[in-house]
Amino acid sequence: MTQHPVRLSGVSKTFGAHTAVSDFDLEIPEGSVYGLLGPNGSGKTTTIRMIMDILMPDSGSVELFGRPPDFAGRGRVGYLPEERGVYEKMKVLEQLVFLGQIRGVARDLARKRACEWLERLDLADWASKKVRELSKGMQQKVQFVGTVLHDPKLLILDEPFSGLDPINQDVLESIVRERSALGTTVLFSTHLMEQAERLCERVCLISRAKKVLDGDLKELKRRERSGTIAVEFDDALGRSDPRRAWQQERAVGSWPGVAGVVQAGDAWHLSLEDGAGARSVLAAAVAEGAELRRFELLEPTLHEIFVRHAGNDDNDNGAGPDGGAR
Amino acid sequence: MKQVWVILVREYLEKVKTKGFWIATLALPVLMLGMMGVSAFLGIRSQQAEADRPLVVLDRTGALGEAVVERIGAAGYATELLEADLGVEEMDRRVTEEEVEAFLILDERTAAEGAFVYRGQDSPGRVRSALLAAIVGEAALENRLAGAEEAESLRALVRGGRLEYEAVGGEVAEVARVAAKAHGMIGAVLLYMCMAIYGSFVLRSVLEEKRTRIVEVVISSVRPWQLMLGKIMGVGSMGLTQLAIWMLCVALIGTAGISFLVQVVPAADTSMISEILPSVGSVALLAVFFVLGYFLFSSLFAAVGAMCSREEEAAQAQLPVIALLGIPFVLQMSTAGGASFAWMGWAALFPFFSPILMYPRAVDGSAPVWMVAASIVLMVAAIFAMAWLSGRIYRVGILMQGKRPSLRELYRWVRAA
Repeated sequence: MTQHPVRLSGVSKTFGAHTAVSDFDLEIPEGSVYGLLGPNGSGKTTTIRMIMDILMPDSGSVELFGRPPDFAGRGRVGYLPEERGVYEKMKVLEQLVFLGQIRGVARDLARKRACEWLERLDLADWASKKVRELSKGMQQKVQFVGTVLHDPKLLILDEPFSGLDPINQDVLESIVRERSALGTTVLFSTHLMEQAERLCERVCLISRAKKVLDGDLKELKRRERSGTIAVEFDDALGRSDPRRAWQQERAVGSWPGVAGVVQAGDAWHLSLEDGAGARSVLAAAVAEGAELRRFELLEPTLHEIFVRHAGNDDNDNGAGPDGGAR
Repeated sequence: MKQVWVILVREYLEKVKTKGFWIATLALPVLMLGMMGVSAFLGIRSQQAEADRPLVVLDRTGALGEAVVERIGAAGYATELLEADLGVEEMDRRVTEEEVEAFLILDERTAAEGAFVYRGQDSPGRVRSALLAAIVGEAALENRLAGAEEAESLRALVRGGRLEYEAVGGEVAEVARVAAKAHGMIGAVLLYMCMAIYGSFVLRSVLEEKRTRIVEVVISSVRPWQLMLGKIMGVGSMGLTQLAIWMLCVALIGTAGISFLVQVVPAADTSMISEILPSVGSVALLAVFFVLGYFLFSSLFAAVGAMCSREEEAAQAQLPVIALLGIPFVLQMSTAGGASFAWMGWAALFPFFSPILMYPRAVDGSAPVWMVAASIVLMVAAIFAMAWLSGRIYRVGILMQGKRPSLRELYRWVRAA
């Protein structure tokens, strides 16, 4: 079996009376893109800081590359903290070369790689500017470059997307994918479910210091599938023509195995009787000659799964309108 | 060790590349040059002005004129004696047409009580007034004494009593000793300033890394002691650069100044100069005390920086360290008048007091060699102890945010690290 770059078992951490992380287990398989999801204040950053040995757990054990998070282990990690730390008075390129050098990359190589990255992230013109002259988003990109200069085996990114515009979010996403394809393990935290849904192979949902769900994203969604089928007819005029809508509802309701029908915009959401399969419903629809535009086994979005499991006290998670995620 | 070097270089360049560093570094020699220039300029100006326009002594007594002119001339002013009497209008014409600076009119009142008229366009100014009054008064007195018995002793008494100093060991030895005391004092002031200023640079640098949280990134690749050592040495190198530039400037300006003096005043006595200049040994000792003192204090400053999260907090937390610097400084300054106490020599053995108290004593020879050596050994030991302690506080503190630790928490940090 492959080694787990990160493994936490039974980890707890309290700050005074506040429990930040409680009895937390986590295993991150090698080569995966792992999302640590949860609302603000749920313990994501505390968890990451314990992995990086910035905080010590009160109890439980943390392993980085199979050992306690020692110096050698941390050196193989590219770590982007949530607080954007930069030397404000240094020039962009100098700063990157410095960050590369302290991680053991030779000066010239660090300079070469930094230049390539700056080119790629549209920052080449800013190389000799002081960091404090850059916008927040640009600083964040510079800092990201700093985390990948030494070709880390493991990338730990704490809220890497916050503060970036959509274009740069896409750029960062594609870089994460590319790193992953090269074999780098990626762990990142976010409260943006949509991002996680696009990027992650595995996710871990945290709410109020506790793990709620953990596992392969596809698997999770299959497991969370409610068995609802969405159907849309080609002449989807249900909304504007009540008579037509009524006809459609009746037709759909008459298919074998359908227990209930609910209108959802242009679509009909069918719930099935116990034991009934989607296949027989589709067969009936085809046999009837219905002109279908859409026939889909509905899977819950991460957002829905999260809300379902974390309860309704997490409305402040800023997940945004991601109900339409495909 | 390579990482320490990388951090040292970054710290050094960041400090040295700022405008502030160069302004501060160059301001001192420029100020020195400026002051020398201004005084030289003023000297030349006043000489010229007086060369152009003489003070004319108009002697109506027929007895004082020669003595007065001779003394004014000896004081460096252009002057001439006019035996013939002139009318007021003629005098005023010569003054307004700038042939003459002013007239000194000596008459019977002058002979009797020393009062005389100074008739010119500008008032003579305080210094010249006093000088001229003294000269005329003396001349008048001489004139009266001329016939008296015991003229010599009366003259001497009128001048006031006279202190005759007998320098033990001769004049040269005395100059050297005064110079050594001065070097000690200047060295103590320099050490105090450098340790306080460069130490607070270290503190601010630690604080900045903590505030921006870049330390969380750096610490994942560099061990805390490496970061601390690199930072201290980087700031220290900057300090040495600054000191070296200053020394160079002082040496250049000093050499230029001496050769200028020799040219302008060929008769100037330069035999004492070698006695006034600090010896190579005392400069080397200053460097030793600077390096040791700086390491001792900057590690404390680094620990203080690691304990705090904000500048205001740090300003408070560094007070004990500032006190450790300030106490010996005040003690040392209190000896400037010449008083010195034996117990201060012993206090100088306390490592935190050593640089400021021991250096002056080592230079002027009032501390025996074994004591100087002992203070250096104790300082080295203290540096290791403080590096160990500060390193532990630094290691824990650098990643802590929020409230400053209490002494008890600090104790736990030291034990936990």
